[in-house]
Amino acid sequence: MSNIKTCLVALSITTMATTGSGQSNDTPINGTVQSRCVIQTDTPGTYGNPNAYELSTKATAGGDNAIIRVDVTLANSYYVNITAPSEFSSSPTLPDTVTWTGDTTVKTLSDATGMSAYETNKQELGMTDKYDLTVTGSTWFETESIATLGGSRAFPGGNYTSVVTAECIAK
Amino acid sequence: MLRYVLLLIIMTTSVQAHEMVPTYPKLESSYMEGLQKTNITIFNKRPEVEYYEIGVFTKDWEPIPFVSTYRVFPVPYLSTVTVELFIRDKDKERVTYICSKSKLRKSYETRPAVSSRICSKVKRRGE
Repeated sequence: MSNIKTCLVALSITTMATTGSGQSNDTPINGTVQSRCVIQTDTPGTYGNPNAYELSTKATAGGDNAIIRVDVTLANSYYVNITAPSEFSSSPTLPDTVTWTGDTTVKTLSDATGMSAYETNKQELGMTDKYDLTVTGSTWFETESIATLGGSRAFPGGNYTSVVTAECIAK
Repeated sequence: MLRYVLLLIIMTTSVQAHEMVPTYPKLESSYMEGLQKTNITIFNKRPEVEYYEIGVFTKDWEPIPFVSTYRVFPVPYLSTVTVELFIRDKDKERVTYICSKSKLRKSYETRPAVSSRICSKVKRRGE
């Protein structure tokens, strides 16, 4: 009787081992890549206060320019509008009007050959710079913003926020 | 060489991204009479952004009425949300752009914030 039991146990173990080693499961991982535009904020930017009446994102003024990266995965399908600030979204009450200057330039390109004309071909309309993204890849845009308070009056103490708008629009 | 090293450093640093698909959505008849529908999907990789606003526009950027669960809806960080939009049949030929825009919270820092907006285009036959 005990011999039969031993045989059954041995047979079960052999069967389990055989079944385990003989099976293989192919687990598919599926994915679909859709063409898209991705807007990434590499550096939101900061304002420096080089003198009492000026806020500037220039490095020489103690600030940081905003750096926005745009990735496109389909050539000639998107254009990008980047608009430098022309008002504060939040600030203390100001004693005078603010004059704004701002500019956007291409900082880095993932395809230096195919994208080399982006900067020269851009269209400027006021504070907005429009770029035609004709090649797939990544483009880094740098936006500078300077706010000057009228009459060389000092900016009151407080926090100042403005908004750089990056738009990626399908063609 | 230096340029590639710089590029690699920039590409490997953490980024904050907003993306939307599809690039060219299609309008199709919905289960409700007189309405067209389409879906858009938004992925939020901007930790400072919690809400996105949807807008539907003509080719001249005039707003077109549409129905969705919400016009401004939450997209948690690192998550994907698919939104179903319903547009009247009579507006079908006018719809050109469907956009999502990040909604920024009031900041208490002295800095420029970045607002992102991505627009898909409903293409017409022949475009």
